[in-house]
Amino acid sequence: MDAAVPLAGAHDTHHHGPPEANRSSRVDPQLLGMLLFIISEIMVFAAFFTAYFFIRIVGENEWPARGTELPVLVAGVNTAILLSSSLTLHWAQTSVKNGNRFGLKAGMFTTFLLGATFLLVQVNEYVHIGFSPADHAQGSVFYGLTGLHGAHVFIGLLLLGVVTVRSFRGHFSKEEHRGLEIPGIYWHFVDVMWIVVYTTIYII
Amino acid sequence: MATTETPAPSSTAAAPPALPQIVAHKVERPNTGWTSWVTTTDHKKIGIMYLVLTFVFFILGGVEALLIRLQLAQADNTLLSPQTYNELFTMHGTTMIFLFVVPIWAGFGNYFVPLMIGARDMAFPKLNAMSFWMLLMGGIVFYASIFFSPPECGWTCYSPLSSSNYLPTSGVDAWIFLIHLTGISSLIGAINFYATIANMRAPGLGWGRLPLFVWTILTYSILLILALPVIAAAVTLLLTDRHFGTHFYDPSSGGSPLLWQHLFWFFGHPEVYIMILPGFGVVSEVLPVFARKPIFGYKAIAAATVVIAFLGLLVWAHHMFATPSPTIVLVFFMMSSFLIAVPTGVKIFNWIATLWRGTIEYKTPLLFSVGFIGTFLIGGITGVFLAIFPVDWQLTDTYFVVAHLHYVLVGGSVFTIFAGLYYWFPKMTGRMMFEGLGKTSFWLMLVGFHTTFFVQHAIGLDGMPRRVYEYPDVGNLELYNQISTVGSFILATGIGVTVFNVYRSLKKGPIAGPDPWKGNTLEWYTQSPPPANNFDSVPRIRSVEPMKDIRRQVARQGEPAEPQVPIASASTAPEQGLQPSSGG
Ligand code: HEM
Ligand SMILES: [Cu+2]
Repeated sequence: MDAAVPLAGAHDTHHHGPPEANRSSRVDPQLLGMLLFIISEIMVFAAFFTAYFFIRIVGENEWPARGTELPVLVAGVNTAILLSSSLTLHWAQTSVKNGNRFGLKAGMFTTFLLGATFLLVQVNEYVHIGFSPADHAQGSVFYGLTGLHGAHVFIGLLLLGVVTVRSFRGHFSKEEHRGLEIPGIYWHFVDVMWIVVYTTIYII
Repeated sequence: MATTETPAPSSTAAAPPALPQIVAHKVERPNTGWTSWVTTTDHKKIGIMYLVLTFVFFILGGVEALLIRLQLAQADNTLLSPQTYNELFTMHGTTMIFLFVVPIWAGFGNYFVPLMIGARDMAFPKLNAMSFWMLLMGGIVFYASIFFSPPECGWTCYSPLSSSNYLPTSGVDAWIFLIHLTGISSLIGAINFYATIANMRAPGLGWGRLPLFVWTILTYSILLILALPVIAAAVTLLLTDRHFGTHFYDPSSGGSPLLWQHLFWFFGHPEVYIMILPGFGVVSEVLPVFARKPIFGYKAIAAATVVIAFLGLLVWAHHMFATPSPTIVLVFFMMSSFLIAVPTGVKIFNWIATLWRGTIEYKTPLLFSVGFIGTFLIGGITGVFLAIFPVDWQLTDTYFVVAHLHYVLVGGSVFTIFAGLYYWFPKMTGRMMFEGLGKTSFWLMLVGFHTTFFVQHAIGLDGMPRRVYEYPDVGNLELYNQISTVGSFILATGIGVTVFNVYRSLKKGPIAGPDPWKGNTLEWYTQSPPPANNFDSVPRIRSVEPMKDIRRQVARQGEPAEPQVPIASASTAPEQGLQPSSGG
């Protein structure tokens, strides 16, 4: 490599090793990766909604299945719980940008609690709903879509758990909060997805 | 490790600019031997591992194909049991698609995308390693099923055949997990490619100067991101149907087997473009180099790639013409399938125009590329036949479809994979492959391929269904099938010659130097094989063919016309010449 030095001319003679990496996009690779991943997640949900469409619309099956009832109200309250977790998350995110550590910690902690509550209410709903995924295709779709979403809430909670612990340990600052930003995008996505699931499964 | 940068020893000579320093508490010794492979996050090593692994699967899938052809060499043959036969064609199709063609493009992409865009590595090196290992896991899970009961439902695993009523054995589950694991592998890989191409291009390398192979890998990634999640969801529903009593595909309880077909083919048709588009990219790189002429219609080819991908998402039901569907649906999918032939035709004309009046060098990569154009063209034409739904009603599920899909997949994907192998082998290993063996391999493969598959059009037109283990001795069926079997062994011999060629060239091949073909793109700017960090300096890109610019610049400075010198001067001298101020 040293042979290069006399030839290098305008080249920075002190710079050893590979050249500076060039950034050809203003978007962070991590952010871009998360957005692409979310697109793939939307496609997973789209496939499950196709199953819903085939069973409810194409197959002309009754919805919900004869003799069953969906707890629209409880699920509605649960929807409010999940949506407010997006607000508290937003609070945590703006707090860290303003250097407000209390807001960060309190925001993350409430977000985590709200998410966990949502999941518990959903499990409770499964226990009391009175039909199983094996009873009929409508049951399969119900558990399929809400279960798929629940699994996403669970993964989101794992991510938020890490972020919460980190914020209590003093991580993140005004300048450096990507570790909060990117799981946050995922969580907002999970929330928005729930609105679609709730509307299609419970309301229409 | 990127984080342990020690101050440069020679930096005391002049007043050094303050460099940020990271004190290394512990420097890990570089791994050597096999541990350097299993622990690597280097895109080139991962690329090589991809290529080797997928080629192993290619050989396995090939052996399965030969067994299939042996069974069919005689009417009413009893060589294989019907069950074994079903297992073989399922293993064959699944292996070739999920373990060979799709991931081998990830292998080429891994090795060459960072080099072609002047990057040091992929955007997420650790995830990249994970992609490879997930692929290996998928392959192991699937092939482990040969020790109990391989799946028997074909690569399409249609419901209800794949339900636990008809196939209670766990082979189908092995197939499902293969889809999950290779799917995660490809999905992570696709996100990685996209982020790499978006974020890490060399200075001046705008979208309008992106090498066409990189364009196709970008499109390949987008299609993977859109299509794979759908099949992943579909097989998850299949898994719960099989094991947890759900009824997604079960018509007796309100489910729908058509749901499977829609989900499968919404993935399945984009999948065929996932398998062919990077091949288009390879050909678009090889032709201008060996015709010694710029690619004709760079923008048209790049745009056609994207248009094909978009239309490819709208044609899936042409695989389902035989299912009960309203005529308007049939017409829609027929028209959209016709439409997709247009951008494909655009590409073919552009390639021919690239060759037109070129100074053609008949090297093996060029032969495979030209062989591809002719062969793929036939497959495209039979595709348009099949897209006419009344014709398809006659031909679906016959050997005509088998002929079509092999013309596009072997004549298309496999030939371009071989073109890529012969073209890039010198870059990856520092040695050329032997031309004589390469040409022998090409001609054997071309002749063997057409002998095997051309006659299958006739077999299909005579009405022989696909996926049957025996046939009666009526008409010319036995003769046709024998021709096909003979052809398959010629084809296999041709592939064997290339395997031998790789083996010999690794040890004895002529030394290649950095740029043996006088290439156009940036991978030829660095050593062969490239050093761990790829480039010591990255030039500013000013056109679609940066290497041509560099060679011209070097020639103008009175230096040797080719940068055949070691990397240090090869990479720094031209760069100096390329500074905007020193032009002229
Ligand atoms: C001009 C573009 C194309 C058209 C219009 C077309 C049309 C069709 C149609 C209508 C079928 C269904 C036949 C049937 O099952 O009855 C088919 C099957 C198939 N095509 Fe194409 N095709 C085209 C290009 C390609 C390409 C580029 C590839 C792959 C690289 C491909 C791979 C396949 C495969 C693998 C099948 C068989 C699927 C199975 O196992 O059932 N096709 N094609
Ligand atoms: Cu298709």
